[in-house]
Amino acid sequence: MAGEGRARGGAGAGLRAGVLGGGAGRERAPDAPGVSAGAGGGGCPAGGNDLQWCFSQVKGAIDEDVAEADIISTVEFNYSGDLLATGDKGGRVVIFQREQENKSRPHSRGEYNVYSTFQSHEPEFDYLKSLEIEEKINKIRWLPQQNAAHFLLSTNDKTIKLWKISERDKRAEGYNLKDEDGRLRDPFRITALRVPILKPMDLMVEASPRRIFANAHTYHINSISVNSDHETYLSADDLRINLWHLEITDRSFNIVDIKPVNMEELTEVITAAEFHPHQCNVFVYSSSKGTIRLCDMRSSALCDRHSKFFEEPEDPSSRSFFSEIISSISDVRFSHSGRYMMTRDYLSVKVWDLNMESRPVETHQVHEYLRSKLCSLYENDCIFDKFECCWGGSDSAIMTGSYNNFFRMFDRNTRRDVTLEASRENSKPRASLKPRKVCTGGKRKKDEISVDSLDFNKKILHTAWHPAENIIAVAATNNLYIFQDKVN
Amino acid sequence: MEFKLEAHRIVSISLGKIYNSRVQRGGIKLHKNLLVSLVLRSARQVYLSDPCPGLYLAGPAGSPAAPPQQPGEPAAGPPAGWGEPPPPAACAAWPETEPQPERPADPAPPRVGAAEPAAPVTGAGDALRAGEVEEAEAAWRRVEGPREAAEGGAGVFAGAEGPRGARRHCGCPPGGEDRPGALGACPRVDCRCAPRPAEDEPPAPPAVGPRKRGAAGVGGGPAGGPAPGSSPLKKPRRNSEEQPGGAEEEEEMETGNVANLISIFGSSFSGLLRKSPGGGREEAEGEESGPEAAEPGQICCDKPVLRDINPWSTAIVAF
Repeated sequence: MAGEGRARGGAGAGLRAGVLGGGAGRERAPDAPGVSAGAGGGGCPAGGNDLQWCFSQVKGAIDEDVAEADIISTVEFNYSGDLLATGDKGGRVVIFQREQENKSRPHSRGEYNVYSTFQSHEPEFDYLKSLEIEEKINKIRWLPQQNAAHFLLSTNDKTIKLWKISERDKRAEGYNLKDEDGRLRDPFRITALRVPILKPMDLMVEASPRRIFANAHTYHINSISVNSDHETYLSADDLRINLWHLEITDRSFNIVDIKPVNMEELTEVITAAEFHPHQCNVFVYSSSKGTIRLCDMRSSALCDRHSKFFEEPEDPSSRSFFSEIISSISDVRFSHSGRYMMTRDYLSVKVWDLNMESRPVETHQVHEYLRSKLCSLYENDCIFDKFECCWGGSDSAIMTGSYNNFFRMFDRNTRRDVTLEASRENSKPRASLKPRKVCTGGKRKKDEISVDSLDFNKKILHTAWHPAENIIAVAATNNLYIFQDKVN
Repeated sequence: MEFKLEAHRIVSISLGKIYNSRVQRGGIKLHKNLLVSLVLRSARQVYLSDPCPGLYLAGPAGSPAAPPQQPGEPAAGPPAGWGEPPPPAACAAWPETEPQPERPADPAPPRVGAAEPAAPVTGAGDALRAGEVEEAEAAWRRVEGPREAAEGGAGVFAGAEGPRGARRHCGCPPGGEDRPGALGACPRVDCRCAPRPAEDEPPAPPAVGPRKRGAAGVGGGPAGGPAPGSSPLKKPRRNSEEQPGGAEEEEEMETGNVANLISIFGSSFSGLLRKSPGGGREEAEGEESGPEAAEPGQICCDKPVLRDINPWSTAIVAF
């Protein structure tokens, strides 16, 4: 009966059960306006409390003159956190691996060192449309590890590639038909046969493209997300979302299409999309209008009609020319628990309970002092910057970037937030990061920085948090900073 | 007045962004252009609705063109006196630069995503041009689209033509014709024409009255509309003066790009207007195809005056 009911209830009932882990009567977030008392991070331990972030490492050139190709455009830990991948505007992927903690080198404390570097995408030219396709890596997503090799998806504006990163530490020697230096031997000269044997060699990490998923997107791809079934993934561009099978490259299913028949009636575009971490039939996508739609693929093949629609009513008193721009969502991420999701718009981060569509359960201001500067930020294009956000492993803390190489952390349990800076000045090993403060008006205190002194060219758009430990990776233009919690 | 200055500045910046997006690597970014067009539309509404007689774009003109902002705004159809032709100055530029082959080739209305629509439209070589043209015009189209949908085109004509008519009342434009960058300069220099409107004030309101008929609550509407937006705007306006970019440099960029922008939008417009039904539209179109194609019903008396309006203002006005 229950099963039937769920089936008949369609997406709604099934979805609710799924998200709540099948239980009824889970605690709901109190219906309070603005920042609510919070329902906790889904009952997770207080991992976010009393974090003391320390500098661990910085990767990248110190040179002041930054080549555009070196600008990091995406950062992502893998499922175990042992590997950290970065993509840059030049189409390269650099993978760092965490060193095993070593008694002989206790201070290394699990440092990340370069594991593999490869050119993922090259610039292309679409001759039909006379358009250049940038090689910039927009997103990297790891696949869960299933064997000795590691797999990741990397995408630029048009093409997604599945890369296999494997180690080779043995070499076969003693071939019959070729010499050790590779020259072919004359078959007539062979008098005896031998079985090749494997000999150890220096570790070599190879990256090879295993699948290329191309020609499925007319507009620029902004997101990819691997499904929890580990067989499919979605890719989203401005107007469409496609579902792929990892093994099949010549076909994809279009599951969302918001392209209007008449492009003049276009009012919103898709800005980000992600699969639910546990429910393989559920995904969300955010729009440029500040709304999020949750879709259930079981309800219909084409998920143009959402199952849930999340929108916070606009505050009419804060209306300006730029209201639409700053409400555009730049990133959407599910919590690890799958119960919440977080959205990032230009000035704030919002945490939503999937069970409440009317408003977020938490709103955290990232840099509210910029609200009065929107016109200047529009002029210099900063208002179009797409900041990402990420959850801490226990969902009790969230992090996002800002300008002047500042990044912000919000502890959802203690309601405390802190502004930290990624800079070479604070890069002494294991040096604690000092909280920074932006002076918004009046007398500037010592150590505070005034809004007008902020360097808007130093922006932290991409950050990543280790899935289990308190280790964060922060991309500051062409440098990658790694910070760890002191107690780590 | 400040709302208007700010709005004008934002309009010019937005147009510059749309223009520059043509040459960006990676093709035209749909999302960014959509956002820019939204800002453009908002700024334009404020610009056209602000009842400042000092500038050539007078208040009443904009009212039907700004439905969301103006409460209870009936689309009064082409208000009385809106038979004036679109600026001939622009038309002088436009016909020269119309890439004719591209227009007929595009069966569907112009779209923003140059990636896709460019394909059916363009032949080799023209691809980029068509792309940028379409993108630019589509950006504009989008700006006008909703309004047009709401008012069946009448509002658009109103918006397009009202300001032109109003110009006649204010003594500003003739003064403005002295410098090509006059439009840019005029508001920035705190409207040298400010004293003039003071004189024109008595005649202006009554003359403007009939046009206001279609714009209920013009006084209250525009004030209510831009007001919330004005405070955040004012501060950045002052801040931006201090910025290294500088208002002067901004103006430089505007005038430098104006001819190109006009050419883009001009050619776009010919296509737009050709496809659109409506009498007012045809007026503009006829106007565009040049003085040589004297459209019946064209009121040409203002052409000599309007021709002298710098192309920048005419571009805005035409939108």
